[in-house]
Order: sequence, then C-alpha cells, then structure tokens
Amino acid sequence: MKHVQLIDRHIPFRAARKPPGRRQRWRWEALAMNIVLFSVCLLVLFPVFYTIITSLRPPRLGLSRAFIPDTWSFDHYIRLLSTPRFPRYILNSVINSLGGALVTTVVSALAGYACARYTFSGRSLFLIFIMGMLLLPGLTNLIPLYKLASDLGLLDSYLIMIAIYSAYGVPFGIWVMKSFIERIPRELQEAAAVDGASPLQIMGYIVLPLARPGLVAVFLFNFVYNWNDFLTALIMLSSTAMKTATVGLFDFQNQLTGNENELLAAACVIIMLPGLVVFLIARKTFMRAMLEGAVKG
Amino acid sequence: MRKCYPYLLIAPAIGLISLVSLYPTLYSLYLSLHRIRRGSMEWVGLQNYSTILTSASFWQSLQHTLVFGVCFVSITLVCAYGLALMFNQKLALNGLYMTIIFVPWMLSDIVSGVMFRWLFLPRTGVGHRVLEVLLGISNLPSTPAGAMSIVIGATVWQATAFAMLLLLAGLQMVPREIYEAALIDGATRWQSFWHITWALVRPTTMITTLFLSIQAINTIGMFLAITEGGPGRATEVLSLHMYREVMTFFNFGSAAALSVILFVLNAVLATIYIRTLRAETA
Repeated sequence: MKHVQLIDRHIPFRAARKPPGRRQRWRWEALAMNIVLFSVCLLVLFPVFYTIITSLRPPRLGLSRAFIPDTWSFDHYIRLLSTPRFPRYILNSVINSLGGALVTTVVSALAGYACARYTFSGRSLFLIFIMGMLLLPGLTNLIPLYKLASDLGLLDSYLIMIAIYSAYGVPFGIWVMKSFIERIPRELQEAAAVDGASPLQIMGYIVLPLARPGLVAVFLFNFVYNWNDFLTALIMLSSTAMKTATVGLFDFQNQLTGNENELLAAACVIIMLPGLVVFLIARKTFMRAMLEGAVKG
Repeated sequence: MRKCYPYLLIAPAIGLISLVSLYPTLYSLYLSLHRIRRGSMEWVGLQNYSTILTSASFWQSLQHTLVFGVCFVSITLVCAYGLALMFNQKLALNGLYMTIIFVPWMLSDIVSGVMFRWLFLPRTGVGHRVLEVLLGISNLPSTPAGAMSIVIGATVWQATAFAMLLLLAGLQMVPREIYEAALIDGATRWQSFWHITWALVRPTTMITTLFLSIQAINTIGMFLAITEGGPGRATEVLSLHMYREVMTFFNFGSAAALSVILFVLNAVLATIYIRTLRAETA
C-alpha cells in the first residue's frame, strides 16, 4: 500500500516534467545511433565498393591515382570471360553447387519431416548427433577425405565434390526443415489421413508443399555456401578442367605480379554476385533459417 | 511398416553424414597411428603424436591460433554487442543497415581475403595509405603482428553480422516491462543495462562466444588468402599447419594426428555449446 502511494506520488511528478526532456534526448540519441550505424555501413561496404570500382577502371589508365575514374569500362570482364579457363571454372562451380544443394534439400526434407512429425526411439539421440555435426566444421575430416578420395581415384571429380557438399549441408538443412514443418498445423494432415491418404501422400502432397519457404531457404543457402566454398575445392581439385571459380581466384592471385588488379577485381565481383543476389532476394528467410540453425535447442 | 517409416526417412541423411563426416573422422584416428610413405602404411603407434607434441612448430601454431582466437572473438563480441544494442532500439532504417552489415557474411573467404590483401598492399592499398597518414605505420603486411591484424580485421568484418544477429535475438527475448519497472524504480541506464540486459542475455552471450571460438580455431581460408602463413611462419595457425603437412609435405600420418587434435578441441567446445543451449532452453 505504501509502495503504491509512493508510485502514485512519483508518476505525476515525472509526467509533468520529464516528457519534453526525454523526447528531446531520445531524438538526439536516435540521430547519434543513425550516424554511427551509417558510418559502420560505409566502412563495411568500402572493400566491396573499392573492388567494384577497380574492376570497372578502363585499362591502360597508367598509374593514375584517381580513386573514381572518369570513364567506366567492362573490358576486364570481357577479357576474363574470354580466357579459356575462367568460364570453365564458373561452370564447375555451378555444377558442384547445384548438385550439392539439390541432394541436401531432398535428404534434409525427408529427415526433417521424420523429426518433426514422428516420435521414434532414437529421435533425440539423432537430433543431438545432428546438432554436433552442425557445430563440427568440415575442416578436421578433410585430410582423411583427401586420402580416401585419392585411394578411390575420386580426386578431381564432380562426384566427390557433390558428395561432400551434400553431406556438409544436411545437418543445417534438417534443423531448418524440422522447425519449418513443426509450424504447419497437424490438423491438415490428420484430415488427409481420415480421408485415407497414405503417409507418403501426406508428406508429398500436403506437408512439403506447405514447407516450401523452408525448402527454398535450404536450397539457396546451400547453393551459396557451396559456391563460396574454397577450402574443400582447393584440397580436392587440382586439374584446370575441374577447378572451381574460388580456387581459380586463389591461383590467379598467386600468379599475378600486381599489375593486373583490375582483372582480379572483376573475378571477385563475378564470384560474389550469386551470394549477394540470393541474399537480397531471400533476406528474411535467410536470417530466420540461420537463427534456427544456431540457437534452437 | 509404420514403425520403420521414420527410420527410412532419416536413413539417407545418416548414410550421407556417416560416409563424409563420421567415417573420415574415425579413419583419421586410424591414419594418425601410421607412418604413410608413397602408398605404404606402417603402424607406429603414438609416434606421430609424440613427434607433434615435442615439435616447436606445433606449439608455435597453437600459440598463433590462441592469439588469433582471443583477439577475433573479443573484438567481434564487442562490435556485435554494440550493433545489437543499437538495432534493438528499432530505428527506422534498421532493415537497410542490417542488410548492409550482412553483406560480408555472404562473401567467400577467398574474395574477402583478396580484397583485404589489396587494401593493405604497400604503396597502392587504400587502407595502407590511411594507416600511413594517420598512424605512421608503413609496412603492415610484412610484420608478424601486422599480418595477423589484417587477418583478424577481415574475419571480424565477416563474422560480426552473424554474432550480432544471435545477440539481437537474445536481447529481443527480454520483456520490455522489466525495463519499464526498473525505470519506475529509478534505475539509471547503466544499472538497467548491467542488471537486466547483461544478466538476461548472458546465456546468449555465452553461446555466441562458443560459436565464435569454434569458428576461430577452424579459420583457414582467410589465412590462405591473405598471408599464407607468412611472413615466415608468423601467421601459421593450427589449421594451416595441418593443411601444410598434407599439401606441402605429404605427411599424412602427422596431418591426421593434427586433425584428431583439432577435432578434440572442436568437440570440447561443441559439447559445452550444446550443454549451454540445453540448459537455457530447458
């Protein structure tokens, strides 16, 4: 009672004097935060802008130090794409990334469905196992995989890359699919079951179509992840016919003497495009999927 | 039939993961107990491990990993915390800022590496010139500490966005009413940050720290792209040391032993991570 009185006396006093001051302070704070965030954004984007501008510099500009050139040119892109190697590297990247992402999506949709809709013995063990696999990065098993692939004659093949990419994506895919499917109301499939649909029909015609945003997220995420992968490809691929774009960029960087930065920049821009485009299209789904993968226990 | 249905559904996943992740991990344990030369394998017991544990280069690379990890994790956490606190204020342009901050996260290690290497190239790099003018530092990539700090800068640049998202999710789970109650009780902003925000977001902070630590001990792409372990061996971290054992010296036995050691480090961190997560959600 005493407490209530105290608050009662306190609040009108605040209400009479605080609001103008508080609002003022809040507005200055919002302005300050906007300025800070804006500068952070500029700083974050700077390397990317710098690379894009460099890639568009006309050739034979000499040692002009002008940061932003007067004229733009796509010469470096044309030169890059007319080399014999680079288009092939891009093609290899596309094949490996697409193959891996497709297999991952199918496999994790099935397992995600099982975990979301069935209670079976070993389910929680399986989920802990998946969680562990999600956290353990591929780095530690690359050495034995390299040995296995070389013993089996699978180095420099699409098969080994697609197999590795598919497996790396599965734990994350299962996690995302599980949480997407859990949010679909059970009543729908119960109704279908009453109408005599088989478990396979329920999954294929009712649940998975409703979980399409999840499927798309898993596919796109893994495509970009595979496309961006550098380490696995660097270890498994050594022939120019099979190398991917990221490995090509690595080689290219090591061969250059420093006078061909523009060409290197053009390669960077081409390689960063898929990730940026996919992210801009599916930003919301992406962030939700990432959070699902990392914090849902 | 109904009973085996879920097992059929998870079978492909288990098969794929066993083949590519589980089996190789066990196989590396097996390989680590052998000396492997030109296709011939000879059982040597724990000799690879004893060689590693007595070699200076192993301890040096472990030390580099530690230095890198501590710097990377702490700087990323501070940046991510600051950003998350600002994003939690729901400014009008949050969506735009968030999108921009996530851009580095969508780039390949090698692309980021190439860009950062450029920025700090002596004579032509913009970042290099800025440092030269502001701080008088002129040979950043060629000094051990300088090379390491370029890699740390690049990885912080790349990892902050995701750490920020994790922390923001934690911040948004704190009910607004608590802050209002604290305000009525006359708490200062610092008090309400320390006793409410920090206290309630501590589990999320713990998880983010573990997540970043796992990332730290496995970082290799950035090192390959920016320094390749140089100058000398000044930035040769554990992961790069392992990579070199195989790709440069074809020393499979000792590389396998290194990957087992790295695996154990990962497993310890991952176990703590899962425990924390379970404790928090339970």
